[in-house]
Amino acid sequence: MSKIREHPPDANGEMTSPKEGDLEAFAVFVQLQRGDPHIYAGCVDAADAKMALQFAREHYGQDQPCVNIWVVPKQAIAATEYDKDLIWRYTDQTYRLARGYAKGVREKWEKIRAKNDLDDYEKEDLKEMF
Amino acid sequence: MDNLPENLKQPMIDLLLAVADDKLMLGHRNSDWTGLGPILEEDIAFSSLAQDEIAHAQVIYELLSPLVDKTADELAYGRSIDQYRCAQIVELPDGFDWAVAIARQFFCDHFDRLRLRALSHSSYKPLADVASRLAAEEQVHVDHVDAWIVRLGKGNTDSKQRLQTALDQLSPIAPMLFEPVDHEAELITAGLYPQAETDMFHAWRDVLQHVAHEGGLALELSPPNAGAQGGRRGHHSEHLKSLLDEMCEVYRLEPGVAW
Repeated sequence: MSKIREHPPDANGEMTSPKEGDLEAFAVFVQLQRGDPHIYAGCVDAADAKMALQFAREHYGQDQPCVNIWVVPKQAIAATEYDKDLIWRYTDQTYRLARGYAKGVREKWEKIRAKNDLDDYEKEDLKEMF
Repeated sequence: MDNLPENLKQPMIDLLLAVADDKLMLGHRNSDWTGLGPILEEDIAFSSLAQDEIAHAQVIYELLSPLVDKTADELAYGRSIDQYRCAQIVELPDGFDWAVAIARQFFCDHFDRLRLRALSHSSYKPLADVASRLAAEEQVHVDHVDAWIVRLGKGNTDSKQRLQTALDQLSPIAPMLFEPVDHEAELITAGLYPQAETDMFHAWRDVLQHVAHEGGLALELSPPNAGAQGGRRGHHSEHLKSLLDEMCEVYRLEPGVAW
């Protein structure tokens, strides 16, 4: 520790600050590459959005390559409650997954292509005969 | 150009030392705030900016390294006090008065940004490349400190009074940031340190006053007296000695050893 820090002077005079505090919480979202989604990184306390961006840039933007930052007042975020709000349903929802469709569609297309190829072959074959 | 003419080598070395030494001392002073910042968020941000300044200094020392045949560490820690070229304002302790720390940062960051911008047009290619990258980062520092100046100025009578006192305390010595190194005029003429059409001092004064006025603060600045000798010519305050004694304590135990 630096010598100068061994005896930091007491604050001269009383600082006045509002009782309830004058900072609000902002949620920080960082984007690691252009085009990527912004990912929730954490929070900062700041007096306004400009200050929050300045803090977020130093807190969350320096330990990894980062190209863009959003800050959102935490107050502005409406959220569900863990125990009260049900999000995932109990019943089978796998029909909603596009994966299932993709498989069937591919099989159908393969059959059609195979059939077309056969048709072309037959045409060529007939051409030679006549 | 990639190589310096022989007669301009020493002035260029002095100029680059001025840039790097300003940054190293300011970064060192500001790093003392780690853990003592006014609010947690600013504590982290200010420490991060202090690290930036030291990283900038390192880049400039590395640029200097082949010119003087010394390593960056030898340049940072291994010189005698009269070989440093920093301005006296970066040597001052701030007494952990946040207003003084912010005011000092305000004067120095704006000056540093203008100087780096000028150097980004230098005809010395290796320097121009580095300076344009650093100037962009210095803009971030300037935005940070400007926001604090306006915020404290508009805060309440207490914060405004404290900041006004700090500005008044530092404004007489701040213009010595502009003290030229020896033979600086020759660097300017040669295009190594090109100057914009507007005189740099006036550009600096105007932007500082603009920001100060936005915060409702008064700021008077006059150009340094011609011939006044300060840090750029190796004349330093007593504070630099104690700063160096502490900063170089470990290095001096065994210069050159790999830690």
